[in-house]
This record gives sequence, structure tokens and C-alpha cells, in this order.
Amino acid sequence: MSSTPTEPQRHLHLNAFLMSTGHHEASWRLPESDPQASTDVEHYKNLARAAERGRLDSIFFADSPVLFGEVGRRPAGKLEPTVLLTAIAGATERIGLIATASTTYNEPFNLARRFASVDWASGGRAGWNVVTTAGPDAARNFGVDDQPAHAVRYERAGEFIEVAQKLWDSWQDDAVLADKEEGVWGDADRIRTVDHEGKHFKVRGPLNVPRSPQGHPLIVQAGSSEDGKDLAAKYADAVFTAHQTLADAQEFYRDLKARTAAAGRDPETIKILPGIVPVIGATVEEALELERELDRLIKPEYARIQLAKTLRVEPEDLPLDRRLPDNLPSEDEIEGAKSRYTLIVQLARREQLTVRQLIGRLGGGRGHRTFTGTPAQVADAIQEWFDGGAADGFNIMPPVLPSGLGTFVDQVVPILQERGLFRTEYTGRTLREHYGLPRPENQYAHAAAPELASIGSAF
Amino acid sequence: MGRQLKLNLFIYPGGHHEAAWRHPKSHTDRLLDIRFYQELAQRAEAAKLDAVFYADGPALESNVQFATRFRIEPFTWLSAIAVATERIGLIGTASTTYLEPYNAARLFASLDHLSNGRAGWNIVTTGAERAAQNFGLDEHPPHAERYDRADDFVRVVGKLWDSWEDDAVVADAGTGIFADTSRIHPVEHEGRYFRVAGPLNTPRSPQGRPVYVQAGSSEDGKAFAAEHAEAVFTAHQSLDSAQEFYADIKARAAAFGRDPGQLLVLPGISPYLGSTEAEAKALKQEFDELTQPEYGLGILRKLLGIDLDGVPLDGPFPPELLATAGKAGSRSQLVLDIICRENLTVRQVLHRFAGARGHYVFAGTPVQVADEIQRWFEGGAADGFNIMPPWLPGGFDAFADEVVPILQSRGLFRTEYSGRTLREHFGLARPASQYSRGRHTPGQPGAVQRSQHVPGEPLLGANT
Repeated sequence: MSSTPTEPQRHLHLNAFLMSTGHHEASWRLPESDPQASTDVEHYKNLARAAERGRLDSIFFADSPVLFGEVGRRPAGKLEPTVLLTAIAGATERIGLIATASTTYNEPFNLARRFASVDWASGGRAGWNVVTTAGPDAARNFGVDDQPAHAVRYERAGEFIEVAQKLWDSWQDDAVLADKEEGVWGDADRIRTVDHEGKHFKVRGPLNVPRSPQGHPLIVQAGSSEDGKDLAAKYADAVFTAHQTLADAQEFYRDLKARTAAAGRDPETIKILPGIVPVIGATVEEALELERELDRLIKPEYARIQLAKTLRVEPEDLPLDRRLPDNLPSEDEIEGAKSRYTLIVQLARREQLTVRQLIGRLGGGRGHRTFTGTPAQVADAIQEWFDGGAADGFNIMPPVLPSGLGTFVDQVVPILQERGLFRTEYTGRTLREHYGLPRPENQYAHAAAPELASIGSAF
Repeated sequence: MGRQLKLNLFIYPGGHHEAAWRHPKSHTDRLLDIRFYQELAQRAEAAKLDAVFYADGPALESNVQFATRFRIEPFTWLSAIAVATERIGLIGTASTTYLEPYNAARLFASLDHLSNGRAGWNIVTTGAERAAQNFGLDEHPPHAERYDRADDFVRVVGKLWDSWEDDAVVADAGTGIFADTSRIHPVEHEGRYFRVAGPLNTPRSPQGRPVYVQAGSSEDGKAFAAEHAEAVFTAHQSLDSAQEFYADIKARAAAFGRDPGQLLVLPGISPYLGSTEAEAKALKQEFDELTQPEYGLGILRKLLGIDLDGVPLDGPFPPELLATAGKAGSRSQLVLDIICRENLTVRQVLHRFAGARGHYVFAGTPVQVADEIQRWFEGGAADGFNIMPPWLPGGFDAFADEVVPILQSRGLFRTEYSGRTLREHFGLARPASQYSRGRHTPGQPGAVQRSQHVPGEPLLGANT
């Protein structure tokens, strides 16, 4: 590697954002794609192995506890991501495994426990993308008629993370003695209740899982609203974000690093990864042809229904060959995915796109930046943002899977490695180590433990 | 082929004997190593067992000083085991009191998909009061209320698992049609405890639904099992008691209009093996001597509500204390019965329950263990057993290597898997989606057949 001994080279962090047959909504219709891929664990194991071959930091699954999208028109239905990632853990050795889970529709004890368990099962490779889950449809799967307000969801999310962190710390790292001679398995002085009482949760603890290899699984955050940025600044180790332009990404990067510093944290300990949908061809023409082929396969009348839902209008309000209407609601009126709403509206207005053109642009990455070009051009695009104060790495969102990931790993990664921008071998074993983040100290390390009463039943 | 035993490996971290982790034979240093459990499941699969099973509760249980009380979250463990095995069933415990139906339905459907149809759900209402305090409740909901809620829960998740009919996914890339949306149904459940819109966000899984297992033997538990369960785990110390339970639960199932053959009864047995009976008993004694009275006394205090502090361990159980004992559940009653019937000292009681918490502990030669299993199996007491190794991994290896071949040579247990799914291993029908009823699609996996019973749903107009 070309790094000098005096000045350690800053390295990219690359995460593969995996989604059934790819991020392009028409990807499943390509001849290479298996339309049943979304429930096929072998498909995902192969993708994870490809990402590991490229020495990527991690793989990631988005999630929401609801069936969404136009089920009739594109693959829908999937596996729950913590279960899927545990299965993948056994097929891989180093790559990080990031699952999305909702703080609105789970209990902290259950989720803290599951992520600690995934961390154990993977030898310290678990990450949790904390989401608050937008939309009334998800709410209705949990006995709630409408989603809680945005601010309330984020307030609950912050408290949820704090409860989870307390539970993860409820066992000291050295609490398990397993002393056969003395007959002491767990040291009760090093296991404690957490006795959390907050606005949203009351949780006694301790967790029934010993402190996991990473101490805390990696915390990821992906909302870019004001509430989302504040949550990230306080708690996140990594942030996934969507930007269409370098200027937007730079502004977000500066803003979030400043908020992180203001929250009393070292800004280096929050890694910002914008999404990029790389449409790669050996030549520019080949790449453009792939992009055109994908866009041809989109059914605009169905994509329009999705767009209308996001924009809170009726599909009829969006004639395909006209620009967006002027009288759209402001972000403040939106209770759902606020930042994505603004991004889409700004993209359409800035580039004066018709609805049909906008649908094409969103078809690739739902608002993430689509970049079409040769491997060297993709590497340039990544480096430009990385060197330009806009990114610590990227969320790689292949338009088509498996081929799009294979192409990225085999053709773009070597260029980034040659330029000294990316690791050629893993140097760490845990996800935190890949991201260059310290293992969190136990918040109770120096606190006196409340007595762990002899309780519960052995049956 | 005659009637075949169903054998399930009940995995307890460290083994079922409370002091097993202290024994030199135990691999105590590997208890948090997922590969340890994967290897164990692989051994169970090599022995052609039906399933592995994890108990679970969302709370750290008592006295972690004395026993391996941690519990890795079961979906995580079973997913990891699923990818290390090919045939063996994977039964996980999940609480109807402390999980959301939509989340539970997804987790099991996902496990069933990634294991190609090997998931089973041990439905529990969670007996530990301590759990309530991990979920914002000051008190654990009362028994009857928990079972009411479990009933509603089972109905919701059944609808969610059925919400995609088997043939809903069309996946026609040419026309761009992925699914036939007329075969994906909102469930719009409005029950006493749950309101869930649905549909699930997972296509119907290979088994349609995971196998429904139940393990409580209280009145509420038995009523619940008779209506919903396809396998029951139960604890009995004697053939008589097991026979009575067996006849009772089968009759109750029939009273719900169900085929009693579609409800399997699997009592627990924790076997100690030796080349002679004396050797086996000596082995059990080795483990019993590693127990720590404080631990067992804590459990008796919890179970019976009596405090034995200061009572001589080698003296009789004080009758005046027994008179005040509570009989909270089926297990408390079982313990009390034994104390009264057998006139045991306090220490003997502690040893008696150290082995498997009230399950049947049997020490003998491989032939004696096989004989005992056969006696219960042929004596109307069991359709199979929940095998509870006293320690790991050797306590299971001994059973797999020495007892299973005897059962196989007697024609009582399979020598090869004939099926791929847990339902097939257990001889259980694959339930049709309740939303495909009345739709006749011959040859399709979701086709309605008269003999198929959907757990949780009364048979429509059929008395078979």
C-alpha cells in the first residue's frame, strides 16, 4: 500500500447494501435475476462472500415490518434481517453484518438481546441500523391506527438506544468465571440490573446474554431529517445518507460532524457513508446501455403510485410528462420519511425533470445517487467525494444482483486499492475494528452494582 | 413399518443437570461458541433425530452464580444451526406475552424459509415474573389472562402465515408480474388483545406454518394444547402419570374435532448411561454431588413458596412447611407429590430435581434406557421423547451412540430421514392457507384436502 509511515493513509469504508435482485426496481426482470431471490439464503450467502472477497467493511439489509410497494409488480416479501444475517455469519468470516430494526415496533429487551446474540454468533460482526419506521401501514400491523409523530418516534428511538446500551453493559466483560472448582459460574457482583425508568420505557434488566464481543454492536443511523441528524450525532457509529450532489453531501458531512462534536463526541468516531448506485460498464457506452435497459423495464404507471405515496398526493396529480405540481406540502407537514421527501422534490425542481424522468432517476436507488460509467470513473466519483469532505466511505447499492456487486468488487475495488484508498486485507476481526472504532467501555465499569437478588424460576 | 418414535434433542446450555457445567466431562468453555451448538445439532442429525429444541425466557433467571443461566436469543441460535444442518427440525421458544405477533410471525416464517421447512414454535406464555419487569410491567399478567392472550396471538400469527397463498408468487419477468395480488390477503385481525392489518411481508413458507409445540401442563395449558398444539412437551416421573396425561390430552384434542394422531406427546427424559446399572447410577451421583444446596433451595422457595433456610439437609421435609406450600402450577404439584409420596430428605429432593427440574431422570444401561422408552411408547404414554442430556456434549453422544441404534434395531426409530421438513418428520399434515379454502387447485401444495386440519381453526363440517 502506498501510505507513508509518517502520515497514515485515510481509508474508505465500503458497505454493500443488499436488496434481493438489486436496487433498480426493474432488476428482477433481467435474464440473470432469480425472482425468488428475496427468500433464498444461498443467494445472500453468495453475495456476502463476494463482498468479503472485496474486503468490504460490511453488508446491510434495510427493513420494515410491513409489506410495501407494488407487490404485484416487483419482488416483495423478504426474510427478517437478523435471522438472515445470522445464517450468513456462518458462511463468512470477517465481513460485518448490519441489520435494520425498528425502535417503534419492538421492545428494547428483545432487540438488545437479539443483537447481542447476533454479535456472539458472528464473533463480533453485528451492526444495528436504528430506524423509527415511517408510515401508517406499519403502525396498523401493531395495533396502532396511525404512525406516532416524527418527533415522538425519534424521542423514543433515543431512549430505546440508551436502554439497549444499558442492557449490553449489564454484564461486565469478565462476569463469566465458570470456575468449576469453586462452583461459581457468573460473578453476581459483575452482573447488574439497569433499572431504567424513562418516558417511554421501564426496564429492569439485566440482559440474559453476557456482554458480546464488540461490547455494543455497531450503531447505524440512516435518517437525514433534523431529528435524525441529532439522533445520529448522539449515538451513531456510522450514518447512511442519500445525496445527489457533492455540495449537498459536503454540507451534510460538515453539519453532522459539527453536531457530533457538539454532542461531546470525537467527530472521527462517526463515519458518514452516502449511497451510490454504480451502473458499471467496460466502456461508457456499455454502462449507458445497461442503464437504458433497466429503465426500459420500469413500469412507470406503477412507479408513479409509489412516488405519489411519498409525495402525499394522488397518482392522478402526477401526469407522467409534466413536472411536479407546485403546491406540494412542505417537509414540516410530512410525518414520514422527511429527508427523502425533500431530496426527491429538490432533485425534480433543480433538474426540471418530468415525472417520467424523475421515475427513471429514482428507479435506480430511490433517491440515492446513480452513477453510470467505467470502473475508473466510478472510482473517480468515489474518490472525489471522499477527498472532498463529503464522505468517509460509501454505501454501495448495486443496481443488479449478483452481477453488480461482482463487477464492483472485481473491477472498482482493485482501483481503489491501487490508489491506496482501500484496504487490501482485513486488519481487524470485528465490525468496529473494520470501521476503526474503539470497543465501548462499559458504562457501569466503575459503578457499584445493585445487589442481584436471587430470583426467578429454574423451570 | 410400525409406529415410529419421535425424538427431540432439548438443548440446555451446559446440559440439563444444574451442576453439569462443573463436571470435568462438560465443555464449559464453549458454551457461548455457536459452533459448539452447530456440532451438537449435526450429531443429532447424524442420529436421525426429529428436531433440536431451545427453551427460552426474556429474563435472566435465578442464581447465575451457580448455573449457566444465560440464554442466547433462540432465533439467532436456530438460524445459525439451520445453515449448519440439512434435515433436523429447529424448535424455538417464543413468548406470546412479550413479543408482538407481527414480529414473531416474520421471525418464524424467515426461519422456515432459510431452513427449507424445519421450523417449530414452542408457544409459551412465559412463567417468569421477572420478565414482566423487563417489559415495563410491574406485575406478571395472571395465568388465565396470559392464556387468553396466547389464544388471540396464535390466531393472528396463523392468519399472517396464511396471508400469502402458496401460489401467490408468479414471478413472470416477461410480463413484469411478480405476484397475484388476489392471493395475498390483508388479515384485518381484531381480537381482544391484538389488532393487526397484515399481510405478512414474507411469502408463505415451506411448511405453511411452523409446527406448533406447547409445553405447559396446567389446565389452561392442556386446553390450549388440545386446541392448537401439534406436539406437547411434558414432564412425568412415572408411567402412570404419563399415561393419564396422554389419554387426557388426546381426548381433549378429539373433543376439539381434531385427529388425536396429529397431536404428539413427548415427555422429557434425562438419561445417564453406564455399561452396568450401577455404573450409570454412580455417574448420576457424580453430578448430584456437584450441586450447591443454595441453588436448589432457591428454586424450591420460588416454586413452593416455602423457606428451608436452617432446615437440616439430611433430615426429613418438615410437614408443617409442606402444609403451607403453594401449588401455583403443574410443576409445583409434581414436586409436592414426589416429596409426599416418597418421604425424601431435603437433600434427596434437591438431588432429585437437580437432574432435569422435574423431568424423568433415568440411570441405566443402554438396553434399560431403550426398554424404558419402548415401555412408555407402547404403553400409551408417549409418541416419542424429549431427550434431555445431563451434560454436553458427552451426555448426548452416549444416547446417540448407544441407545439410538438399539431403538433402530427394534424397528422403533428411523434409520434414514424419509422427509425433508419437520412436519414430515413428525408425520403432521401441511396446513392449507385458510384463505385458499373453497378454491380447488388440484396438485398444488396449498390445495384444500378434507383430512387437513389447520391448527387453531375448527374443522369445517367434518367429524373425522
